[in-house]
Amino acid sequence: MANDPNVAKAAAPKRGWHDQDHVPGIKSELLELNMGPQHPATHGVLRLLLQTDGEIVYKVTPVLGYLHRCAEKIAEGVTYKQWVVYTDRFDYLAPMCCNHAYVTAVERLMGQQVPERAEHIRIAVSELSRIASHLIALATFGLDMGAWTPLLYCFREREEILNLLERISGGRMLYNYMIPGGVRYDVPNDNWVADVLDFVDLMEHNKLPEYNTLLTYNKIFIERTADVGVIDAKTALDYGCTGPVLRGSGVDFDCRRDDPYSLYHKFDWQVQVGRGEMGTVGDCWDRYIVRAREIEQSCRIIRQALQQLPDGPYQAIALKALVKVPAGAAYTRVESAKGELGHYLIADGGQTAFRNKVRSPSFCNLQVVEKVGVGQMVSDLVALVGSLDIVLGEIDR
Amino acid sequence: MEPNAIYELLAAHLGDGALAFTEHPLEPWADVAPGRVADACRFLRDDPRLDFNQLMCLSGLDWDGHDAAGKGKSVAILGYSDDGQPEKSDRVATGELGVAYHLYSHALKHKFTLRLRVPRDAATVPTVSGLWSTAAWHEREAWDLLGITFAGHPDPRRMLLEEDWVGHPLRKDYVMPDLWNGVPLQGQPYCANPFPVATGGPDQPAGDKPAEG
Repeated sequence: MANDPNVAKAAAPKRGWHDQDHVPGIKSELLELNMGPQHPATHGVLRLLLQTDGEIVYKVTPVLGYLHRCAEKIAEGVTYKQWVVYTDRFDYLAPMCCNHAYVTAVERLMGQQVPERAEHIRIAVSELSRIASHLIALATFGLDMGAWTPLLYCFREREEILNLLERISGGRMLYNYMIPGGVRYDVPNDNWVADVLDFVDLMEHNKLPEYNTLLTYNKIFIERTADVGVIDAKTALDYGCTGPVLRGSGVDFDCRRDDPYSLYHKFDWQVQVGRGEMGTVGDCWDRYIVRAREIEQSCRIIRQALQQLPDGPYQAIALKALVKVPAGAAYTRVESAKGELGHYLIADGGQTAFRNKVRSPSFCNLQVVEKVGVGQMVSDLVALVGSLDIVLGEIDR
Repeated sequence: MEPNAIYELLAAHLGDGALAFTEHPLEPWADVAPGRVADACRFLRDDPRLDFNQLMCLSGLDWDGHDAAGKGKSVAILGYSDDGQPEKSDRVATGELGVAYHLYSHALKHKFTLRLRVPRDAATVPTVSGLWSTAAWHEREAWDLLGITFAGHPDPRRMLLEEDWVGHPLRKDYVMPDLWNGVPLQGQPYCANPFPVATGGPDQPAGDKPAEG
């Protein structure tokens, strides 16, 4: 099942056995196979056009656009504050991170200072969102590998996060919580901070060890993922992979630490990288374990952000005030749950953006299947796509 | 390395291909001649003093209607009229198209921004997908949404829209078609208030007024 070097060698493109008449009189050819767009293993409306020779994949062509809404065009027609709702719909598994990315970009162009309390709240909800997204990643990756039970456990904890985020923002899936200059609502008075701290303790000390027992060190799971879909560091950088995919390939890079924004530099936490513990550096298991360990680091960040939560205002600009951005252009990137989420925002002094190009991490991460997917078995391609943890909302935008 | 020092190295390599360097407190950028961008990118990637091994972002741009004085748009963006139908216009766009490259070096931890402008009726730029593979999809997207051709691109198809779509939606003069393959495209108003309340009585939430959203 693992990526046998002999199999890979036999499967080099255009050199397969079907090119030769090794059985006289029998003509063989490649089979075109559609994986998706409605296939549970493609994590959304992704269509992969495969050329296969038996179980071996010769060519992968992702076909995108089923969820395209041209949100970048809409950004040119609505005001800066109105567009926050569209960022929710990019990575709908971690919308707080996308909110954070966009308001950071706008504030940077405005030169707007954000109250410290607002930044602490933002970091706490962004990291909660990151945990929720990583839980989905672990759950569906396990599901792709045939492990049903971890899905139910992960969704149980995700439900707790959604309850907490609902109490602070009013929404369970799409929050529209951050605005340029702060957040929409202050922390609620119903013991929210204590409840989050309780949840974080529970997550770090009880739930993560539970997942490790269930899935991480499961022999079958390791056999299915170690040495499969190896992305080496050079390929990952060449294809613009970011986030857990890049770190899984052993590159020690995280925008939160290396391109600091918000107040992440205040807190004590570590960047997790893949080390090839079960096989090769950059295999599917490495990407999985990077996410699992990032949950732990997010718990540490949330604990510090909320224990040190300062008093003071939570908005620098009143909610009803119109945001005006002076003319200028800047590329601002933050670390969302999937990787580097960048906004190239060009303002011309008006109420709407002149151009807002969104560099979404899933879009760049997915491209690597065109290279790494070749020569794999179809079932290993499922593992590769699952370990990339894509979300189609931000690929198609 | 600071952006102006990077630009000096680049200008020494490119000669007259390097057009200008603009200082900006947030993000300085260099303008290069469109025909020389692949050369510039190869130098930026391969020179050991620069070592830009990651292309963070490649953005297609349409500068039509951009007001350099920063007083807001000089040209209205076409959208939908109040009845939900696409607005018609016979305005001919004249502004230039452009591409912006945002580079980052993981080893040296510095960033650089390259920009170029091409005329609207001859928007052809050499591809850089041979230098950074990630550029291939960004360039397909720029072709799809803005109609910028990338010469030498290995797979010059549309990225997000259908193969037989007509036009490039992110151009400022794009008009939404009424029909596509016989399917009527009835536009919905995307920036009008779906719950218009004329008087703003006591029931209306504070944040829902049309001007604010």
